Amino acid sequence: MVLKLPRRSFLQLALGTAATVGTSARIASAATNDAVTIGWPNDVPSWDPNQRFTPDAQPVFKAVFDQPLDQDPKLKLIPHLIKSWNLAPDGLSMAVELRDDVTFHNGDPMTTEDFRYTFLERIKSGIKLDTANSWKKVDDIVIESPTKATMKFNSPAPTAPQWMAFLGSYVVPKKYIEGQGYDNFLKNPIGTGPYKLAEYELNSRIVLERNDKYWGPKAKIARVTIQIIKDPSARVAAIQSGQVDCTLNVPVREVERFNKEGGFAAEINPITRVILLNVRADLAFADKNVRLAAHHAIDKAALSKAFYGGAAVPLSVLATPGTPGYLADFTFKYDPALAKELLAKSNFSAANPVKIGLAATNGQFPSDYDIARAIVQMWKNVGIDADLQVIEYAKYFELNRGGKLPEATLYSWDNATGDPEIFSGYQLNPKMPFSPWKDEDIGQKVLTLFGVADYDKRIAGYKDLERYAVENGATMPLLQSVLTVVRKKNLNYVKYDNGWVLPQTLQWT
Amino acid sequence: MIAIVAKLIARRLLAAIPILLVVSALLFCILRLLPVDPAAMSLPPNATIEEIETKRHEMGLDRPLPEQYLIWLDDALHGDFGRSIQFRREAGSLVAATLPVTIELAAAAMVLAGIFGVGGGLLLFHLRGTLWEPAADLVSILLLSIPEFLWGLILLFVFGVLLQVLPFTGQVAPGLPLPHITGFLLLDALLVGRFDVFLSACQHLILPAFALGLAFSPTIMRVLRSSLFDIYHEDYIQQARLRGLSEERILLKHALKNASLPTLTLAGVQFGILFSGTLLIEVIYSFPGMGNLMVDAVRNADLPLIQAIGLTYCIVVLVINTVVDSLYVVLNPKLRVR
Repeated sequence: MVLKLPRRSFLQLALGTAATVGTSARIASAATNDAVTIGWPNDVPSWDPNQRFTPDAQPVFKAVFDQPLDQDPKLKLIPHLIKSWNLAPDGLSMAVELRDDVTFHNGDPMTTEDFRYTFLERIKSGIKLDTANSWKKVDDIVIESPTKATMKFNSPAPTAPQWMAFLGSYVVPKKYIEGQGYDNFLKNPIGTGPYKLAEYELNSRIVLERNDKYWGPKAKIARVTIQIIKDPSARVAAIQSGQVDCTLNVPVREVERFNKEGGFAAEINPITRVILLNVRADLAFADKNVRLAAHHAIDKAALSKAFYGGAAVPLSVLATPGTPGYLADFTFKYDPALAKELLAKSNFSAANPVKIGLAATNGQFPSDYDIARAIVQMWKNVGIDADLQVIEYAKYFELNRGGKLPEATLYSWDNATGDPEIFSGYQLNPKMPFSPWKDEDIGQKVLTLFGVADYDKRIAGYKDLERYAVENGATMPLLQSVLTVVRKKNLNYVKYDNGWVLPQTLQWT
Repeated sequence: MIAIVAKLIARRLLAAIPILLVVSALLFCILRLLPVDPAAMSLPPNATIEEIETKRHEMGLDRPLPEQYLIWLDDALHGDFGRSIQFRREAGSLVAATLPVTIELAAAAMVLAGIFGVGGGLLLFHLRGTLWEPAADLVSILLLSIPEFLWGLILLFVFGVLLQVLPFTGQVAPGLPLPHITGFLLLDALLVGRFDVFLSACQHLILPAFALGLAFSPTIMRVLRSSLFDIYHEDYIQQARLRGLSEERILLKHALKNASLPTLTLAGVQFGILFSGTLLIEVIYSFPGMGNLMVDAVRNADLPLIQAIGLTYCIVVLVINTVVDSLYVVLNPKLRVR
C-alpha cells in the first residue's frame, strides 16, 4: 500500500513537525526566575566530597556540603560551620567551636561527632580518601561537647585553618553513612549545604534543589541544573543558543564576541592559579646564568596579550596579587639584553646557543602549547635553543620520578586558598612529586617553613623564599591564569578571587 | 537454518576466548609500558614521593608485568575489572552504566547510516549514465571526506545555534527526569510511560545520531552502487528483463538483495568503527556514554578503566561480527548449504 500525500500537505506536515520539535526544544531550554542551567566543564569524580581533590568540582561540593571554614570573595578565612577557632602557638592543637543550628538534609543535627568522624575516624578506617593526606597530622580530635572539640596534631600544622576551607574538607554525616551504608551515601549523598542533590547522571547533569532549612543565607534560585559539557566549543554553542544560562572556561577570544552581542555578559577573571616554568637544577640548567637568562628572555606581558587578551597578570613570584605571599614591590624584568649578557658569561650566544629541552602539555590549560611555542621563539632570540616536546599531564609525574623531565616544563598550579605554603611551599618542596627542583638549599628552607606555626613569621618566611627562589632561577613564574565566564546579562553571581562560581550566589535580576 | 546460525554463534564464542585473552594481554602490556604514573594520579597533589612509592607497591606496579597481568586476569574472570583511579568505583560498574547510552546512540546512527547509505546508493545507481552522475559522484566523495566530529560541529552550529530547533546537550531537557530501568533511555521512558521524556530523548538523539550516521553512510552508498553495477552485468538480470519485469522490480526484488551482501559485510565493519566514533561525538554532545568516560579515563591515566573500556569495545566488535555473519547466513542460501 502506498500512502499518497499531496505535495502541499507533505510540506505542511514536514514544516509543522519541524516547528513542533523546534518549539519544544526552545521551551525546554527557556529559563524561569526560579531555575538556572549552568554549562560546567567537568563532572564530580564521586559524591564523597572527601575522596578526590578536584579543584573544578569544589563549587559543586560547596553547594551540597559545608566546610568548617569558608573564604570570602577576597579569600579571607571566615567562620562557617566553625564559629571560632584557635590554633595553638606551637601549631600542635586547634580548638574549634561549631554552630549549634546546623542540620543535615535529612534533619539530623551536625555536631562534633560528625566533625571527628570526617577528619579522623573515616581517615583512620582505611577508606581511600585524599583528605587522608591533608589531615595526616591529626592524632586525635577530643570532643568536649556537641559544639566544642580540639584537634591534636602530631607535628605543627600551621595551615590547618586554611585546609579547613580547602580541597576535600567537607563535613559528612556520621550517623547517616554508618546507618545507611557507604554505597548508599554515594548514591544519595546528604550534606548541610544550601542545596540538596535532587538528581545525578554520571557525565551528564547534576540537579540541585534549594535546601529551605539551610542555616545560612538561603540560595536565591530554587533549582540549579549543572549540565556537564566538556567540549569548550559546545559550551560556547550552549550559551549562544540559550540552552544554558551561564558557562565557564570558554576560549578567551569568544569573550569579546559575547560582549559585543546584546544579552550576554562575559568576563576574563584573573584567579589564584599560576602558570609557571618548573625547572631542574641540573643538565644545562645547572648553570645559574642560563636559568636566569631563560627567565629574563620571556616577555610575559606579550604572552598575556597574545593568549589571554591581556587579562592574565604577569608574575614575578609564585603567588598571585592579593594573596598573602605576593610581593608587589618585586619585579623580575623582561630584559633580553641582560639575558644575552648572562649567556655570554657562560660562553653562549645566538651563534652558539645553549641547548635545552622544554616540555608542555597541549590542551591541559588554555593556550598551553601556544605559550610554549612562543617561549621557544623568545629563547631563540637570545641564544637558547629549546627542543619543545609535548607531554600528557598524566606522564608528568612518571617523567619527574624517573628524572626524565627536560630542563623546563610548562605547568599550571591551582591554589584556591591563596596561602603561600600551597604555592611556593608545594612547588619548591623536593619531597613533592611535581617539583623537579631537587636542591637541598631551597628544599631545606621550605621544610623549615612547613613547621612555622606563627602566621606572620610564616608569611614573611615565604616572601623571602619566593624572592630567593626566583633570583636563583629555581622557578620561573609566568602568568596569573584566568577563568572566563559567560552569562545572560540578567544573571548575576559573586566573583571570587579563586575563580569559584558558586550556585548559591547566582541570582536573576 | 537456525541450527546453522546456532553452530556459527557457538563457533564464534569459542573463537572469542583466545581473541579476548590476546587483546586483554596486549592492552594490559601497552598500558603498563606507557610513561604514566597511575600511583601518583591516584593520590592527591600533596602526597610525598615516599607515599607514592608505597601506593605503587600496594597497586602491585613494582611486580613483573606477567605477574601483574595474571592477577588482573584472575580478578577479571571473577567479574572484578579493578577500581577506577579517578572515580574510585568498580570499573565494570562504570562501563555497565554507560554502555547502554553508547549502544543506543550507535544503533540510532547505524539505522540512519543504513537509510542514507542504501537510499544514496540507489540514487547514485539510478543516476548512472545521466548528466547528474558526475555531480552525484562529487557529492558522495565530499560526504566521504567529512569525519564524524566535523559533522557533529556543523549540525550543532546549524540546527542548535543558528536555527535553534534542536537541543544538543545531554540526553533530555533540564527539568525532565531520567528513568533508570534498563539503561536504554528511549525504552525506559516508554516503560515508565513518560512520553514527554521519550520525545525529549528523541530530540536530543537526533543531532549526534545524524552526525555519526552521515559520516558512515557514504561508504555504504558507494559500495552498494559498485555492487549494483557488478550485479547488473549478471545474466539473470538480463533474463529478468527478457521476462518483462519492470526496472523497479528488477532493482528492488532481485539486484538489491544480492548487492546487499557485500554492503552488509561492510556495514558490520563500519559499525565497529562507528562505535569507536561515538567517543568524540559523545564529548561534543555531552552524551554520558562510554566514549565520554574513555576521555576521562585517558586524561587521568585511569588504567583499570581504560582496560575495561578497551575490552568492552573488543567484545562489542566481536558480537557485531557474529551478528553480521549470522545475517549473512540468513541472506545467502549458498552458505546454508555449506
